[in-house]
Amino acid sequence: MSDTMKPKVGIHGLTSCYGCQLRMASVQEILRVAQRFDIEYWSMLSSDGTIRHVDIAFVEGSVTTMADEEELKAIRENADVLVAVGSCAIHGGVQGMIFGEEYRKVFGEIYGNCTMDFEAKIAEPIHKFVKVDHNLPGCPPEEDEIMYYLATFAMGSYPEEKDYPVCAECRRNGYPCVLIERGEPCLGPLVVAGCGARCPGHNIACFGCRGPVPHGVAWFDSLARTFREKGMEKEEIKARMEIFGRQYEKMNEMIEKVFEHED
Amino acid sequence: MQKLIYIFWYIRKMRYVKIANEQIHDFLNQLKQYGKLYAPVKVSDKFYDRKEIDDVCDIAFDYVRTLLPAKKYFIHPKEKMFDIDIENGTYDEPEEKIEPFVLFGVHACEIVGLRILDGVYLRDYVDTYYKRRREAGIIIGLSCLPDDHCFCNLRRSDFVDIGFDLFLHELPDGYLVRVGSPTGHKIVDECAELFSNVTQEDIAAFREFEEKRQQMFSHHGSFDNMRYLLELTARDELWDEESEKCLGCGNCTNTCPTCRCYDVQDIPDIDGKTAERIRFWDSCQFRSHGLVAGGHNFRETKKDRFFNRYVCKNSYFYGLGTSYCVGCGNCTYFCPAGIDYLGNLLRVRSASEPEEVVHEHN
Ligand code: SF4
Ligand code: SF4
Repeated sequence: MSDTMKPKVGIHGLTSCYGCQLRMASVQEILRVAQRFDIEYWSMLSSDGTIRHVDIAFVEGSVTTMADEEELKAIRENADVLVAVGSCAIHGGVQGMIFGEEYRKVFGEIYGNCTMDFEAKIAEPIHKFVKVDHNLPGCPPEEDEIMYYLATFAMGSYPEEKDYPVCAECRRNGYPCVLIERGEPCLGPLVVAGCGARCPGHNIACFGCRGPVPHGVAWFDSLARTFREKGMEKEEIKARMEIFGRQYEKMNEMIEKVFEHED
Repeated sequence: MQKLIYIFWYIRKMRYVKIANEQIHDFLNQLKQYGKLYAPVKVSDKFYDRKEIDDVCDIAFDYVRTLLPAKKYFIHPKEKMFDIDIENGTYDEPEEKIEPFVLFGVHACEIVGLRILDGVYLRDYVDTYYKRRREAGIIIGLSCLPDDHCFCNLRRSDFVDIGFDLFLHELPDGYLVRVGSPTGHKIVDECAELFSNVTQEDIAAFREFEEKRQQMFSHHGSFDNMRYLLELTARDELWDEESEKCLGCGNCTNTCPTCRCYDVQDIPDIDGKTAERIRFWDSCQFRSHGLVAGGHNFRETKKDRFFNRYVCKNSYFYGLGTSYCVGCGNCTYFCPAGIDYLGNLLRVRSASEPEEVVHEHN
């Protein structure tokens, strides 16, 4: 692609901490990235809110308000390729933990009777509203993956997403397994790799910030069974898996199955 | 001519020497002159792994298994293969010079494991990365005593007569050393002052150790028919039940001395002009391992992937006439789900319920 044909990029933030955008803005080679793309829009860096057509749109954050939903739909309509960036956009994020009845209760406790000029909704991942072409996982994503994704897009190609768990990197890096050795509730077996098993590498059990492995190979049921055998209660297991996995379609059902089965 | 030399080498009597406990640290220090020394050390409460050795007092002689097998020195967990010039469509494979290195304390099963890897990586299509490292690696074997997960005896890989430079067998007051290669001879000759002749008592102690060791294995007999029994029991419920527990984490294959699947990826630079090709350990327990163009997957379900490992490990390596599984027990020991590989094979062998196996990682 010649310089005159630089891909146009938009980087958007819905409801989130803006950490993914910050991570993207702080990659070491940001100047080379800026040379390769025409950055049409970047919500963290500019207040210009007009949505123009781009080749690739990156979207951080979950859909938590009607305004988010409308903005997301406009982004989708104006982008050839849409990439969900980070755990909020891909899985709903930590804010996606609170659901259904529980949500109404928590909402009432926090906002009481006050009136707001927007409608606050349950936080949901963006794939519930629009078609997502690629996921760039992380909380926030890792620099090497950001660069890899960008480089493939710049070439007119697309990235290969990881479909294997943190344990693979934990082994490749030669870290001792905290689940086997100390019976700690490490979520590494069901969380998508990419972080290089950073937490287990510091002797801390993975708590799942990158979200479940895609393509239906996050085995909440088998891991719940393993935790149960280490002496954990159902509620404890759920509480741990829910932080970043609550909106994973079958999570609840998978955990319940294990306990039903063996009760 | 080459062949003749080999034949003479094999039929001549092996050379045996003894090293006393008092000399062993001197010996280990002297080994450093042949290259960087790697040996098992304790890395956490329960685990051992091979690390580069600075102080030879750190070396663990009584380890049973390491977190990663010796293969990690020959097929790196993740490595760059070469640079690609996208614009010109060329690539530049560097002739990496590998400095010699010494692996101390390699158990028999792992030595068989390396020979199996040799068969795969050096026979029909030579993997130059592997070859260069293998040529640079000096292997010093060490005798061991089995734990509950070990079954190298059922795999005929409990004693090696080839594949090492030196092999140390524990004696009450030192080690009986078998010399297994010209490099081994060179080391013994150059450190001659550290070695003595083997005495009648040493031979008796060696025999006793071997007998004690054989009796310590929890299971006896043979697994020679395992491949066929597995094929015949492919539809048994056992595989549904066991694969249901599996986390698909790949620890079993990553810690296996003979699992050797890797994945290759091209990582382009942001300028789009260059890229690097990397490779890293893959696992048949991962979804994309069996995924091919068009979205077809040869091993669609977790059960397919789970059973695949059993069949793959229990098939025969034509080069050695043994199975690809060397009976080290790593895959059981390092399975976070506590899946008992040996227990499952025993169930297949005897069709009866296995004895209750207690999962103690000690
Ligand atoms: S510490 Fe966690 S990530 Fe590492 S192997 Fe164990 S379960 Fe997997
Ligand atoms: S180590 Fe155990 S849980 Fe992990 S993939 Fe292998 S059999 Fe399954």
